[in-house]
Amino acid sequence: MDGFIRVENISKVYQTGRDAVEAISSVSFLANEGEFIAILGPSGCGKSTLLMMCGGLESITSGRISIAHTPVTGPRASVGVMFQDSTLLPWRTVIENILFPVKIQRRPMAHYRARAEELIEMVGLSGFAYKKPHQLSGGMRQRVAMCRALVTDPDILLMDEPFSALDAITRDEMNDALLDIWDRYRKTGLFVTHSIREAVYLADRVLVMTRRPATIVADVRVPFGRPRHNSIGGSPEFNAICDELRSLIEHKRAPRWNGTKAA
Amino acid sequence: MKLELSTRRSATVEAAYAVGLPAALGVVTLAAWQLGVKLFGISPVILPGPSDIAVSFNGITGDLIHHAWATGSEALFAFILSCAFGLALALLLGSSAVAFEMLYPNLIVFQIIPKIALAPLFTFWLGIATTSRLSYAVFISFFPVALSTMTGLKRADANALLLCRALGASRWQTFFSVQVPYSLPYFFSGAKIAATMSIIGIVVGEFISADEGLGYYILRAESYGQTARIFAALIVLCGLGLLLYVLPVQSERIVRKWWSE
Repeated sequence: MDGFIRVENISKVYQTGRDAVEAISSVSFLANEGEFIAILGPSGCGKSTLLMMCGGLESITSGRISIAHTPVTGPRASVGVMFQDSTLLPWRTVIENILFPVKIQRRPMAHYRARAEELIEMVGLSGFAYKKPHQLSGGMRQRVAMCRALVTDPDILLMDEPFSALDAITRDEMNDALLDIWDRYRKTGLFVTHSIREAVYLADRVLVMTRRPATIVADVRVPFGRPRHNSIGGSPEFNAICDELRSLIEHKRAPRWNGTKAA
Repeated sequence: MKLELSTRRSATVEAAYAVGLPAALGVVTLAAWQLGVKLFGISPVILPGPSDIAVSFNGITGDLIHHAWATGSEALFAFILSCAFGLALALLLGSSAVAFEMLYPNLIVFQIIPKIALAPLFTFWLGIATTSRLSYAVFISFFPVALSTMTGLKRADANALLLCRALGASRWQTFFSVQVPYSLPYFFSGAKIAATMSIIGIVVGEFISADEGLGYYILRAESYGQTARIFAALIVLCGLGLLLYVLPVQSERIVRKWWSE
């Protein structure tokens, strides 16, 4: 289905006293079903806000977003979310945390318990189902958060810099874990990141966002198929795309410093 | 192995310090007190020495137990009621924006009143029996529980709340599955204050009107000039305070276990 997620000309204006700050300016894009889209941009460019608007967690000043031909007006049951922080409830065990969405949405527990166990196995956390979050490493906690996002089998996964708080090695492992998940479950994904390599490594398409006005300046297709092997990271093609994206970000950022700090 | 041995020894030394230093200070203070009283010939009616206090326990132990029971059971009851009442108020304020807007500023203003000064009113309104002392003790103890639990409800992890919204959780689901558990540590810090306040409340109540209890005992001893007995009653009060304080500390330990095991 074309345009599973349709973002049409949306803007976000924050009213602070008498001033109005335009956080996002006329952003449009389409995401096809099963497509993994990375939203790449510098910190504070409004990419998280854009993601939250797609999840119905943030109001839209103008424009519209629809998912599967239904306008987004609020949170939608069939969406999985991941944040920078794993956001696990410290008093619940791993499996209880994973089943939290099931409990909240009053779905049949027995059915989803089996799925939760399958997911735990899948992300390599077998034997940790009854541990508490503080007994896990940062990477393991984020794996639990990944399972929680997937447990209800949502059709969309919204990820807000989910690996940016992890160290570089763990981050690479998590990228591979996410690729495995993708090959197996194939969701439609929006992934916010400020890492160029991460965006190229994971996504089918990379949307480049810039600050002031916060808008999408490029939509770059990543030509690698799936399943992906981590050797693509060293290929000249991979590096060429990274360079292209870097120059897009830098080029668009230049006018801000024009005349004063031109580098 | 050697390393382990040396760390173990330093732990023993540390424990000796932790117990030994305060104990040494206590002993030195008692000795100085005893010496001072003898040296300056201070009358035991003004300030009895530690030995006088120890001796005074002779023959009044039964009395002290009787009065300690009266004060202790009322304080315990007051503590439990304060926790229940404080928690209920915090849950009400935390779950309803209207209740919060209406009550919270008033609670803060109320908190500023020197509540000791209100004690006589309770006798006036509720008579001279247990009800009056109990109500007063609850009145001064439930504030800390309510206020700190309130704070806890407001401090729930912002991302966890966002997650609840994303999942379409109802307000009650969010409240009970995220906010309430996150507020528990705050509740316990309020309960620890309430444990001490409950005893203060009961003793103040006994000062005003009672025919038993340690507050009553202290006033009676004072009127007979039996200063050593006042000190003896104070020591028993400290013991009671400690016993009551153990309740929230132990409950908190149990909850922490639930969080982390």
